[in-house]
Amino acid sequence: MTPAQSPGGTPAVAAVAVTKTYANGVRAVRGVDLAVSAGEIRAVVGENGAGKSTLMKLFYGLEQPGSGEIAIGGDTAVLHGPGDAIARGVGMVHQNLMLVPSFTIAQNVVLGVEPGRRGRVDLKAAVEETARLAEESGLQVDPKARVDQVSVGMRQRTEILKALHRGARVLILDEPTAVLTPQETEDLFASVRRLRETGMTVLFISHKLREVREISDRVSVMRAGALVGTVDTAEATDRSLASMMMGREVTLEVVKAQARPSGAVLRVRDLGYRPSDAGVPLDGVGFDVAAGEIVGLAGVEGNGQTELAEILAGLRRPTAGVVRVGGTDLAGAGVAGHRRAGIGYVPEDRLHNGAALDESIADNLVVDRHDRPPLSRRGRLRLAAVRAHAERLVADYAIRTPDTAVPVGALSGGNMQKVVVARELSARPRLLVASQLTRGVDIGSMRFMYERVIAARDDGAAVFLVSADLSELLTLADRLLVIKEGRLVGRFDSTRGLTEKKVGLFMLGVERHDRGHIGSGLDEVTTT
Amino acid sequence: MSVGTLVETEDRREYRATRRRGLAIDVGMAVATIMIALLVGFVVILATGHNPVEAYSAMLTGPLERSTRVGRWLEDATTLTLLGLSVAIPFRARQISLGAESQLYAGALAAGVVAIVVPMPPVVAVIVPVVAAMGAGAATGLVPGVMKARLGANEIVATLMLNAIAVRVFDYLVNGTLREPGSTAVHSASIQHDAALPSLREWFGVPLGRANIGLLLMLLTVVALWLLMTRTTIGYRIRMVGANQDFAEYGGIAVPRVIEWSFVIGGAVAGLAGAHLVLGGYGRLEPGLVGSLAFEGIVVALLARNNPLVVVVAGFFYSYLRVGGDIMEQQTDVGTEIVVVIQAVIVLLVTAQALPDLFKRRLVRTRVTR
Repeated sequence: MTPAQSPGGTPAVAAVAVTKTYANGVRAVRGVDLAVSAGEIRAVVGENGAGKSTLMKLFYGLEQPGSGEIAIGGDTAVLHGPGDAIARGVGMVHQNLMLVPSFTIAQNVVLGVEPGRRGRVDLKAAVEETARLAEESGLQVDPKARVDQVSVGMRQRTEILKALHRGARVLILDEPTAVLTPQETEDLFASVRRLRETGMTVLFISHKLREVREISDRVSVMRAGALVGTVDTAEATDRSLASMMMGREVTLEVVKAQARPSGAVLRVRDLGYRPSDAGVPLDGVGFDVAAGEIVGLAGVEGNGQTELAEILAGLRRPTAGVVRVGGTDLAGAGVAGHRRAGIGYVPEDRLHNGAALDESIADNLVVDRHDRPPLSRRGRLRLAAVRAHAERLVADYAIRTPDTAVPVGALSGGNMQKVVVARELSARPRLLVASQLTRGVDIGSMRFMYERVIAARDDGAAVFLVSADLSELLTLADRLLVIKEGRLVGRFDSTRGLTEKKVGLFMLGVERHDRGHIGSGLDEVTTT
Repeated sequence: MSVGTLVETEDRREYRATRRRGLAIDVGMAVATIMIALLVGFVVILATGHNPVEAYSAMLTGPLERSTRVGRWLEDATTLTLLGLSVAIPFRARQISLGAESQLYAGALAAGVVAIVVPMPPVVAVIVPVVAAMGAGAATGLVPGVMKARLGANEIVATLMLNAIAVRVFDYLVNGTLREPGSTAVHSASIQHDAALPSLREWFGVPLGRANIGLLLMLLTVVALWLLMTRTTIGYRIRMVGANQDFAEYGGIAVPRVIEWSFVIGGAVAGLAGAHLVLGGYGRLEPGLVGSLAFEGIVVALLARNNPLVVVVAGFFYSYLRVGGDIMEQQTDVGTEIVVVIQAVIVLLVTAQALPDLFKRRLVRTRVTR
């Protein structure tokens, strides 16, 4: 679409034939023309690496275009840094919130533009200013609370208020709902609509098509750095948007047969955990996962799901309770012991511990089995076998790469995750623990992961799926557990008819099941 | 074009070509780094009012002028390469071990004591002290290894402190118990004749100074360590722990044990270097026989980016500069300090790695925009 087609005269922000090539040769944005009129909520969607984040960074002055122009309020703007963008009324809320944890909300809101004279900050004025902004925008915060003691949702509202305090007329929200519960998302959307009433222009980055359709006036779709098109939201469907994003027809539905669970593979009883670091403690966690079923774990991030998954993988040691896989009591076993018992683990952050980025795909695929035949004999690594193993998995899991010697760090997110999933599933685990299976993964790979996990289930694997994405859990899981503050607070033995909203109420602690319901049907397991 | 990173869209031939080009750039950059360093040295000599052409011709051609100088070069390169290797292994596991000095002294001490005190038949008289030296070096490496892996101590502090202890113990013994009775200078008795590493002179028939079959031992060690790193499970583990320790742990690798092994292997190689100094060079124990060698070994490892096969090249190059610098000092009025300048410039350029990366990026950009 050309800027001329945007309704309502001068666009609030516009990009004209903008191209950005990064130093490593990736052309992230190519020839994009985009114009957003004042008072519009514009969603920008696209696969990972489609260039939407880079385009936003260009608007916010974090990156400078290689060619083309950025215009703000109708004037061509050369943005040397975020300072220039802020001066022109552009504010941005990043995906990873950037606040000072030990400051109060009011202090964070005024940071950099503090009220007061001669270098002294007038804290009272800061609190009043914050309260006023919150009142006007409907973004509820407690100005005097410390940031590290409030919820993620309130932190995000603080970020938006910070932008408002600096006089933003254009607000860029980069995947704002990724960290929110459904209820918090609704509140955010209400505030965003209210801001629109005051003439605010909002750029909303997301890959959740349902939310995009709910909040935005128009949707711009990017693919491979280029703008594919802009459509009115009222005329868009999930399917049409997904097809634009992918450049071909895609089906989002996943075919899943009824689960046929047999005996329990994973038994967790009275699990307790006292972290030695900054982790979340767990208390009295008990559940089963049977062979041939997928059990999902829902919860607001940071409520103990990371700790629980890492305990099941052997990376953390529980301080109380029993974990059993098949007949094996895993007390005192290390990671290798857990893997020997038949546990596969897709970690939540593949960059942190799911891969060695500088090492080859082939080496990354054998970390759990390099010390056994056929890959090695008596301490000798058989390079031919390692390469053959990699070639096979690259073919089986459609990992896109010219060679198995390519370092994993050179791959895109979805492709890298395929390497992790290929390694874990090819070990044919009895229990697969998968955390954030499709985080940062494109739609094509996402579908692929779903199919593979369902196939593993149908082959008799027990699957424990931890995710921050409720639609993913409701799509895949046969049963669902909800965790809050290190305790199980909800258990749904069927996901049929279950809504995200209903689960959200449990995640927030508005509703909870009683202990009897959560623990029902669990047989006695004693330490041997 | 589909969504993805640049490399994903290449086919195999294209990728291999890119890789070959990358290798060629690396080699070219290494040469360029050396040239720049020599140029800086040249300017410094000029600025201090000496004749740089004369100094450089002495330094760069001197070591090859006589066979004894070649021998000196080979002998020095042997020790230096072994030390570079001993550091490269823990470095590959991302352990900043600075313990080569203590391991070297321990190896020298063990080789010396065995070779002086224990009477042995020929051949065995060489093998036993060498093995003892490697064992002593490995044991000295194990101490900071265990401290780091099991107790969480900082390996830099642990190895440096152990160095201080090892040097004092060595000096104390050579000044006391091991001191040759009746001699005025401080040194031990000489090693038994059969314990000396056979000189290369006996093989080539030309005088090669103190160069000895330690050179062959060193080359064997290079190949062995290269095989270890690329073709064994312990080498794989060392590489993975170095690449991403969290990943190694996640994969079920016993990280502390791997760290210990990296220290032990490095220590054994440093111990071998100690044996080479005593059995091949000095023929007895002297205080300070290690000099600054241990730290130059670190430079060699850095220069070679911890790749055993490249360490040899770096070791030979570096010791060539050292020997050439000595000759330059003898023949001209330019001191060996200039060699230190050249070395420092190289280290700066290599550790910054600014040059090669900049060049590669430029190359990629021109290819993309074309």
